[in-house]
Amino acid sequence: MVVDPQFIWNGLVVGSLIALAGLGLTLLFGLLNFINIAYGDYMAFGAYFALAANVGFGLPIVVSILIGAIGGGILAVVVHKFIFSKFMDRSPIVLLVVSIGMAFILRNVIRIFWSTDPQYYAVPVEEGPSLLGVTFLPEQVAIIAASLVVLGLLFLLLHRTRIGIAMRAASDDTDLARLRGIDTKRLVIYISLVGGIIAAFAGIMLGLDSNLRPNMGFIALIPIFAAVILGGIGDPTGAVIGGYVIGIGQEVSVAFIPSEYKPVVGLVLLIIGLLARPDGLFGEATR
Amino acid sequence: MSAGGPILATEDVTRSFGGLVAVDGVSVTIEQGEITGLIGPNGAGKSTLFNLMSGFLDPDEGAVRLKGEDVTDLRPDERAERGLIRTFQITRELSGMTVMNNMLLAAQDNPGERILPLLTQLGTVREFEDAQGDRAEELLKYLELWDLRDEYAGNLSGGQRKLLELGRSLMSDPDVLLLDEPMAGVNPDLTDHLLDRIMELRDEENRTFLIVEHDIETIMSISDTVIGMHNGEILVQGAPETVQQDEEMLEAYLGGDV
Amino acid sequence: MAVSFSLVMVTLIIVGIYAILAIGMNMHWGDTGLLNFAHAGFFAVGAYTSAILTTEVTETGLLASRTVGFDFPIVAGMIAAPIMAGLFGLLLGVTSIRLEGDYLAIVTLAGAETARLIISNEAWLTSGEQTLKNIPRPLDGSLPGFLPYDVFYFGLVLLVLLGSYFLFRHLANAPFGRVLHAIREDEDVPKALGKDTGRFKLKSFALGAAIAGLGGSLWAHYVYAIQPTMFLPNLTFSIWAMVIIGGAGSYIGAIAGAVIVTGIRQITRFLPGDIPLGNELPYLRLIVIGVLLIAVLYYRPYGMFGDKERSLAGMSGGGE
Repeated sequence: MVVDPQFIWNGLVVGSLIALAGLGLTLLFGLLNFINIAYGDYMAFGAYFALAANVGFGLPIVVSILIGAIGGGILAVVVHKFIFSKFMDRSPIVLLVVSIGMAFILRNVIRIFWSTDPQYYAVPVEEGPSLLGVTFLPEQVAIIAASLVVLGLLFLLLHRTRIGIAMRAASDDTDLARLRGIDTKRLVIYISLVGGIIAAFAGIMLGLDSNLRPNMGFIALIPIFAAVILGGIGDPTGAVIGGYVIGIGQEVSVAFIPSEYKPVVGLVLLIIGLLARPDGLFGEATR
Repeated sequence: MSAGGPILATEDVTRSFGGLVAVDGVSVTIEQGEITGLIGPNGAGKSTLFNLMSGFLDPDEGAVRLKGEDVTDLRPDERAERGLIRTFQITRELSGMTVMNNMLLAAQDNPGERILPLLTQLGTVREFEDAQGDRAEELLKYLELWDLRDEYAGNLSGGQRKLLELGRSLMSDPDVLLLDEPMAGVNPDLTDHLLDRIMELRDEENRTFLIVEHDIETIMSISDTVIGMHNGEILVQGAPETVQQDEEMLEAYLGGDV
Repeated sequence: MAVSFSLVMVTLIIVGIYAILAIGMNMHWGDTGLLNFAHAGFFAVGAYTSAILTTEVTETGLLASRTVGFDFPIVAGMIAAPIMAGLFGLLLGVTSIRLEGDYLAIVTLAGAETARLIISNEAWLTSGEQTLKNIPRPLDGSLPGFLPYDVFYFGLVLLVLLGSYFLFRHLANAPFGRVLHAIREDEDVPKALGKDTGRFKLKSFALGAAIAGLGGSLWAHYVYAIQPTMFLPNLTFSIWAMVIIGGAGSYIGAIAGAVIVTGIRQITRFLPGDIPLGNELPYLRLIVIGVLLIAVLYYRPYGMFGDKERSLAGMSGGGE
């Protein structure tokens, strides 16, 4: 059975987005131990910050991306410091509901300051070259390239720098990390920053791939969570692999089921994964 | 069916966690109507054995038999229905429920737990609740918890929680009761009182008890049989005096290993 | 300030239906501790079931999409809706037997979205993304002259609300509820005492889902036209906000929460027309709800009408 290579290409694009977003989420989830529904809105905010820079102030797209990413990081830190940190002694359920409240707030702030109509970045719309029956749109190439670069940088950070190794350790097993003397309180700020930057970046890429709407991050949350849980909470490699599995799975599924049901693929993969291996594909999730 | 056979038995059960073998080829038989003590230093595998017997853990190898029936594949609640009830070493009081509700929960075959009777047979439901309420009252008074019956279980002291755990397990009318350090934190007078009660239940109602306890004197005074565990294995099983003098057992306690 | 009577009635009907939804969610979360994020899906299943069974297909031509429709009496729709929703609840509930907390939340959320996707796409059954129109209203046109329709309908909703309140409270105070509460506190304990906790969770799921489905039916026959965008996850989150703000674990709290949150959302409609920020009002209202939710969680985590003692039991008390 031959699958149309276009689907695989599309899957790589979508997979990059999910993998990236999942990486940020798994770091946050792993350390802070609660589902943060507002994560989708960090993504959206990053996209809209970049939009303001790009369309509002006329800055070139690359600069706008940087501004958006940094803006997203700062937002995540601010939200953590002023809201989530006040609830750190409560159960994860409380934090989940707080994040719901935060999501309400963030999403509607976007609706107030930007319109609810779809928005677009000011990038030239070009035809993409075709090769072997696959059309390679420039944005798609840019997304995959940028995502791989960012993923590479992140892996360097997480594996080669002291702070990065500490982040991974704390995400993976917070108690053990604390026992080893890692200052988890400071780390939380770093992880929030990095997680927010990643989320914002993923949001911007999402905006490049399609368009910007206030709920853009929120509707992407399900496949992202699926990737994180599948890969094992707190496991960056797992999240990335999970992201590509779900992305490619979703796109390739179009050959067999109506494309409107793409999101269901993530859900099915997640349920199968959870029932088969409750600790994630790599058995590393610690809860 | 179990006339002559042990009421509870494990056959060569083994269970590991990661690389650590917590229970290693353990075969024990518990006779009906006896009090069996289970002793051993910390980490010997006693709680793991309880979990394996009651179904909270699955063995890697081996089988568990209750009243002659192989229950290895049964869930904890299925084994409890068949008369095997256990308490927890670290008390699991239901904090957000009152002492009385903790007790009433343990009643078996309660028609009020099914929806249809709640809609069509309210009289029967109420009768059952009242009857169980009387049983609970008797037990709570015996345990000296009656005054606290409307208190949230989360507000009880450590010793009171242990008593509640015991009371709840007795409420469930068990054939075999696995007690995990039931007297920790309970004052000595009450402890004696309760040990007498346990022996009464054995004598008058033929109930079976398997008790983990660290106080050697208590175990020796109350048990018909004693099992000694160390490093996941059974070192000795027999009459209290025999076990007390068993050299390996003494070494295990004094050996001071991990 | 002239407040239109009909606006008040509409608001009351909406509050009533949301309160019914909140009651269902309270059984899931308040009684059983289940993190169910599929409530909008149960609502949708109920609404569409009732609509499809009572609304014949009348459109023909290129724009028509639905081919399935019946002409059963509205009562039939109102009976079938909770049944279908309850079955859907059972289906999702099966996942709750193996999955805990956060995982359950994600899976139920995705499950509801899947239901909504199916509704959006299988236009032959549901009219897809288009509005399913002409849903019949009970006793439409047959009411005595002095009785405005909305008042009658509110009476109907109130009846269902009171009925479900008393029913669910009865179940929660009974031994059945006791087992649910035990599951909420520590699932191992009822297991160790012989309760098949999986079965109880399924029943809890089904009951809460069914009542949400009934609410969906009431909704569909009132607004007489429904579409998938009425059943987004945001609705589930709003119900959560109601249950939390009102006080989880208490059915009065669930109703109170529905009144408070819906009140906030609707109250701005009563303000005079040209106030500043008028266009942004819908969004400001939602921001207020988000802020209120966080504030309640911080200052009164047991909600406005929740059981303070119960939530504190076991934390500072005890001898350890």
